[in-house]
Amino acid sequence: MEPLSLPAKLDSLEKLGSYVVRATAEAKLAAKAAYGLRLAVDEIATNIVTHGHEEAGISGVVTVSVALTDDSLTVVLEDGGLPFDPLSHRLPAEDDLNLPLEERAIGGLGIFLVLKSVDAFRYERAHDVNRNIFVMNRTPNGAA
Amino acid sequence: MAFEAQLQMAQGVARITLAGSLDAASAPRFREVIEQAAAQEAGKLVLFMEKLEFLASAGLQLLIFARRKMGADVDIYVVGSQGPVLGTLEMTGFHHGVHIQDTFADS
Repeated sequence: MEPLSLPAKLDSLEKLGSYVVRATAEAKLAAKAAYGLRLAVDEIATNIVTHGHEEAGISGVVTVSVALTDDSLTVVLEDGGLPFDPLSHRLPAEDDLNLPLEERAIGGLGIFLVLKSVDAFRYERAHDVNRNIFVMNRTPNGAA
Repeated sequence: MAFEAQLQMAQGVARITLAGSLDAASAPRFREVIEQAAAQEAGKLVLFMEKLEFLASAGLQLLIFARRKMGADVDIYVVGSQGPVLGTLEMTGFHHGVHIQDTFADS
């Protein structure tokens, strides 16, 4: 699939999701893995748009690309917004997940879901570009 | 699929039927109907999620918002959620804070 560049706006999440869904179909990922990959990409793209662009008053684009091998499907998001390492933020602890809703913190859930949903996640920053990398293993016969 | 959220109020019960994809792009619409339900002082909030296909953390955050906005004494029901949407609720511990049910009958 060709890379796709979209405005760094929340309105782009739907097209980004469709792109990832097409990639997971081509890779013949099982439904659960396909959903998890779309979820992880949606969560990080939301952070890129919200924290890396809109809150900073920066306009730009997010470029999504995929690489398919026999073993895995890799999705890469690249953007030129503020540096934002998702892995540097505090994740909810097990005790936090058991708190009553009214006592729960609003933030941190997105990154938590990313790490739970994909087989590997990496963040890189080079030449003023943020690169978020999501890897989902392909299993024999599409089984998850 | 585009997100839809429809509110019905009857006898102090706010019923919100959700469909499509709920993420940061569609969350403002969900927040709007939660605020409408809260303004009408609903005693119960029932979220029908059978047709909700995708749930991101922005939707989960609105469950926290609903609890704070409506008060701790307002029970929240999640009805008909299934597959990965239900999996997300369980993975993040939200099944401890709401009543997860297959169906909802007035009591």
